[in-house]
Amino acid sequence: MDLSFTPEQEKFRAEVRAWLAENLARPWSDEARDPRHDANSLVELRRAWQKKMHAAGYLGMGWAPEWGGRGATAVEEAILQEELSRADAPQVPNFLGISLLGPALIHHGSEEQRRRFIPKMLDASEIWCQGFSEPGSGSDLASLRTRAEPDGEHFRIYGQKVWTTFGPWADWIFVLARTDLSDRYGGITFFLMPIAQKGVEMRGIRQITGESEFGEVFFDGGLARREHIVGKIGEGWKVAMTLLGYERGGSTLAYPAEYDRFLGGLTAGLKENGLLDRADVREKLGRLVVENEVMRGNGMRNLANIASGNAPGPESSMEKIFWSEYAKRLTDTALDLLGPQAQLQDTHASARPDVNWAYEFLWTRAGTIYSGSSEIQRNIVAKRVLRMPTK
Amino acid sequence: MQFALDEDRALLARSTRELLEKEASLATNRQIMESEPAGYSRALFKQLGELGYPSLLLTEEQGGLGAVAFAAVLHEMGRVALPGPFLDVALAIKVLAGSASAAAKKWLARASAGEAIVVLARNETLTSGDVGAPTTSFSSGTVRGVKRFVPSGLQADALIVETIGGLVLVEKPAAGWNAKPMPTIDHAQRFAELTLDSPGALLCEGQAACKAIGEIDLLGALGASALLLGLMERALEITLAYTMERQAFGAPIAGFQALQHRAADMLLQTESARASVYRAAFAAEHQPEQAAYLIAVAKAWAGPAARLVCGEAIQMHGGVGFTWEYDPHVYLKRVKTLEQFYGSTRAQLERALQARGW
Repeated sequence: MDLSFTPEQEKFRAEVRAWLAENLARPWSDEARDPRHDANSLVELRRAWQKKMHAAGYLGMGWAPEWGGRGATAVEEAILQEELSRADAPQVPNFLGISLLGPALIHHGSEEQRRRFIPKMLDASEIWCQGFSEPGSGSDLASLRTRAEPDGEHFRIYGQKVWTTFGPWADWIFVLARTDLSDRYGGITFFLMPIAQKGVEMRGIRQITGESEFGEVFFDGGLARREHIVGKIGEGWKVAMTLLGYERGGSTLAYPAEYDRFLGGLTAGLKENGLLDRADVREKLGRLVVENEVMRGNGMRNLANIASGNAPGPESSMEKIFWSEYAKRLTDTALDLLGPQAQLQDTHASARPDVNWAYEFLWTRAGTIYSGSSEIQRNIVAKRVLRMPTK
Repeated sequence: MQFALDEDRALLARSTRELLEKEASLATNRQIMESEPAGYSRALFKQLGELGYPSLLLTEEQGGLGAVAFAAVLHEMGRVALPGPFLDVALAIKVLAGSASAAAKKWLARASAGEAIVVLARNETLTSGDVGAPTTSFSSGTVRGVKRFVPSGLQADALIVETIGGLVLVEKPAAGWNAKPMPTIDHAQRFAELTLDSPGALLCEGQAACKAIGEIDLLGALGASALLLGLMERALEITLAYTMERQAFGAPIAGFQALQHRAADMLLQTESARASVYRAAFAAEHQPEQAAYLIAVAKAWAGPAARLVCGEAIQMHGGVGFTWEYDPHVYLKRVKTLEQFYGSTRAQLERALQARGW
């Protein structure tokens, strides 16, 4: 048993910290509340940040050098994400492309596809979004009905995708569509296609936070080139499953680091309000601190398992339940203890200076739904870990 | 990084499981809890002593194996709800090993060999599982006061009494030693109220006593957390087996989603306890600057988590879960003691906050 980082890993952490101190001008929370920004300028800021990270070699770190990576280990990736989270760095706009599509191209893509797409993905000149979920097909993804019809060197796509994160700013979309209506899994193909074309319409969806970071896409004969199919026709499900396996690995220490920042903000507020000495308040705060530390311990254990050569397994479902449910408890408690000040929009001069509680309170409602709801994750744990039978 | 135990400790955990399954299975333990007046098997304690278990917590030079091995063994003891004061004797041994007095050396040897039961007598109140400042006095060689919830207080051969004047060893038989049972819901741990007006020998005082108590608080919380881990792990296993066996509407009840989601949550609680307990044990051995914080975290998590899991075990067993015959209640009752003592959940939450500077 060894739950400590090696001297090399600690050195890498120190490097990342030094780089962040030098390169991160302002924490993301300060940028986001700056009235001089709007949704578009914030995206441009994130694009500039991605270019900086890419230039420093911090994107796709685990990939081979020929694809812009440095063959970094899972532990280094986790350290990087932890430090970014601790420093409240902006999220890179191509996070979906880099964390999902990149690995899928490296595993299942053609040489031409990698050369064509990976460099522009890394330098943020092409932003990607994901076209998986449909209005009638969320947790039961394989029931998707968007279809692809062959048309010479192309396929024409018909149907609708929804919850396309970052869709309103994306240039390209990776889409799961049916090439065979009768075969549930084997009839799905993985397409890459540009968004700015006839037959593809992206609309923003206004969320309960008021922003429109998600989109919905309507396909009415938009074109995807045959050479832009990842894997073979009918292998889309397999490609998608590889890619979803990457969805949660690297962030294992990032969530507790982010919530530690929140806990710091909560504690500062309670102190200011003269509540930090109250026994009932301390008990609630203590519980949140303990739960977050337990989450970090779970992350350390998962990371140690990955570092010892075990593939990330269904533990990721438990991790997902933990952080997403915790985030709701944390923001619920914070809004309760900090009072109505925590409900002020963060552009208001009297809003709490450190954490945008009003926004986080709402945003955390999404975490237990997206990427497989808590209910789906519990099904996965019950069936794949506990081997409980299907009725 | 590696989470799995190293070869030596993994071997220790395996052989402990084999030993306990053979000599102290849950069925055997239940029989002993319910029929043996002492509430536990002295023969087994003797056997554990011969194998070196009680002194596991000592340093390697003193013949111990350290905190990770200690946690792994208590984890196994939790699985079978082992009755008796194993943890309490291990903590007493730790105190005795730190004292140079002749009396300490004698009792250290006897307790380590499993020949004597030596436990700490600390709590005085009825209203908190946490130990406050003692009112028990020690002057002119005499200990005077009342100690409550003394583990195996009726069976103890000697006590380490926390007094205003320091930690004092009181040997039985002693004048003015009056022990009365304090039966609780827990069958696996018998408590007593000790009224003492008895001669004692000072083990340590002042800073040394504070240091010893501080260490006992940490290691007691770690040990209790490891026991809680074993208890909830086994309660979950028993429950899963029952849901596979029990049929309703023509199929095993394990197929019902309502039970599957409960079971998934139980696993999340249990696996989180596993990560926390071993992380804390690793810190106790290798990262002393983090140990106090991570042990508080482990105990504050493991107590409520185990209560939840063992409570769910009763619920998922349905009506038979409420019968004396079935096992889940034994686990829930044991859990309640461990949650309450060795630093209550509330006390551990406070310690965790203070460790963070909050």
